[in-house]
Amino acid sequence: MHKTSKLLTCLAVAAAVALLSGCAGMMTKPTQQNFKAPTVSLDSVEVAHYWGWWYFSKKVKPTVGTAGNYGAPLDLAFIFNVKNPNSYPVKMEELKFTVAFENFDLNTVSSTETQWIPAGKTNQIRVHAMFDGRQSLLSLLVTGGFKLKAKTGKAGPGAALKQLATWWKKAPEFGFPIFVKEGSAVFKADGLDKVVTFKAKFPE
Amino acid sequence: MRSKNLWFKLFLLVSAVLLAAGLAGVAGAASVKIGALNDMTGATSDVGKDYALGIAEAIHYANDNGGINGKPIKLYQFDYGYRIPEALTKYKLFKRLKCVSVLGWGTGDTEALSPTVTKEKMPYVSASYSAHLTNPKKTPYNLFAATDYSSNARAALTAWFDKKWPKNPAYGKRKPRFQCAYMFASPYSSAPIKAIKDQAKLLGFDIGPDQDVSLFAIDTKSQVLAMKKFKPDVVWHGNTVMSVAATLRDAYSLGLKADHIIDNWGFDENLPRLAGKASEGAMGVGVCAFYGEKTPLMAKVLAYGKKYNPGIPAAKRSVHTIQAWANTLVLWEALKRADKAGGLSGENILKKGFETMRKFDLGLGGAPVTYTATDHRISGKVPIYEVANGKFKIVEVVDLQARWPKKWAGAWLGW
Repeated sequence: MHKTSKLLTCLAVAAAVALLSGCAGMMTKPTQQNFKAPTVSLDSVEVAHYWGWWYFSKKVKPTVGTAGNYGAPLDLAFIFNVKNPNSYPVKMEELKFTVAFENFDLNTVSSTETQWIPAGKTNQIRVHAMFDGRQSLLSLLVTGGFKLKAKTGKAGPGAALKQLATWWKKAPEFGFPIFVKEGSAVFKADGLDKVVTFKAKFPE
Repeated sequence: MRSKNLWFKLFLLVSAVLLAAGLAGVAGAASVKIGALNDMTGATSDVGKDYALGIAEAIHYANDNGGINGKPIKLYQFDYGYRIPEALTKYKLFKRLKCVSVLGWGTGDTEALSPTVTKEKMPYVSASYSAHLTNPKKTPYNLFAATDYSSNARAALTAWFDKKWPKNPAYGKRKPRFQCAYMFASPYSSAPIKAIKDQAKLLGFDIGPDQDVSLFAIDTKSQVLAMKKFKPDVVWHGNTVMSVAATLRDAYSLGLKADHIIDNWGFDENLPRLAGKASEGAMGVGVCAFYGEKTPLMAKVLAYGKKYNPGIPAAKRSVHTIQAWANTLVLWEALKRADKAGGLSGENILKKGFETMRKFDLGLGGAPVTYTATDHRISGKVPIYEVANGKFKIVEVVDLQARWPKKWAGAWLGW
């Protein structure tokens, strides 16, 4: 009776191993040839948090805290669909893109949290981009000065603040085009890697 | 008894397999953590973004080539928007994450964090090349793989003196006239001014009044008109590209008959695009090769750029990617050396890593790197380029150390 029990245990273990091996064998092994590029597409953009528009220069005395140059933040969330066309799971290791308001590059954001996308399925990823009023002003002044003059006929802090006010106030209804540019995402499968590009305009 | 023995052997075998699998998991998890502070949204994002891309690409390259003696590098890269409070906060995060070193960015974050990194012995490799960071007695944990701003400025003026002044009709008849245009309030722009004026005196220039040009300026006519009164033969531009391009354009249109010498952050692939004809003949500092220029490692730089950022064409990349690779690769080398020599403590990275490098060539066109316990200037050799037909052409590699060995060894260190 004792020997029979041991024999049955061994058989059960062997059967389980065989079953697992069989399942593993059924899954396609990733190769350079069969590794299809996943796709990344913009699903939507949301104003995740909103404070309106304001700007205080360092000349303004605060009620409490330190005086400084402060501009309203604007938190936008970009939601992407990440589709895996392969018959095996792939890991997304990195996703990054530049955000432009009209034709002014204002932010480059990335997500380095890894996620697995099951075979043939689509995951969603939400990436927040924080736009700080003060640093957007400096970006417009130092890097976008010539463009701003070409667009508005004026340059300098006054023109830049006016442009920022327009964007911040129109953001809730997306009253200007937002571009996702120079996007790239790194995918891995069993030691192989693939980098895919993406771009989008919102609203379309 | 035989049956019991069989079961025991089976148990041992399964245990060994499980143990090996467990250990493999641990081994796979061991990584060397590096923090990176970058500006991808703020005042310096036009150059900061390309630099940030270069750091990530260079880390991929390092990992593909063995990481730190077999241990992969895990990069924690954050945008701090050129805001100091954000930089200080992210530094604290790097400490909590147990990062062994930091790849920093500008003068603001580097200077704000300098006392902290010194106290905490955290190697901090920045893209601020201020000469104030090169004296290990004061800032031992601040390093960079480039010639410093002051040496660069001295070299640019010397190259003009060597190459352009002898061709000037006034050569031999009077002293050359020199003037500076930069933002007075910017720590970065004003960092090398004392040194370049010292060099001007050494070479026998007449020095005119400085012109305050904002980093935001796209109209510099009043400053150019003021310069016309002094009639400089050569003007030093200490700002970043946009305002330098604006000054060159206004100087061209208003007929300021002067040559121009420019610091490295004002002298990149965007300058000929923004300033056009007005940039022709302008000389500037190249701390490393420009993007795509022939160097031993350039093919790899281009390949990693194409692989990891295929959405950005090579025409939009710049010398700032190469600068990022230089800083990343010099840190990689220091970490490998320190790891082999006993471990990755900050002090070991400095003493057994960085300070063991002697004329170490990064293959990126910059001067070979030497750090000693008493001097963190990597070299006295500064490549000076000129814009010719919209392209960058090397004019001269000025060897400050060879020409003024006594001053280099003592008087010029640290400012």
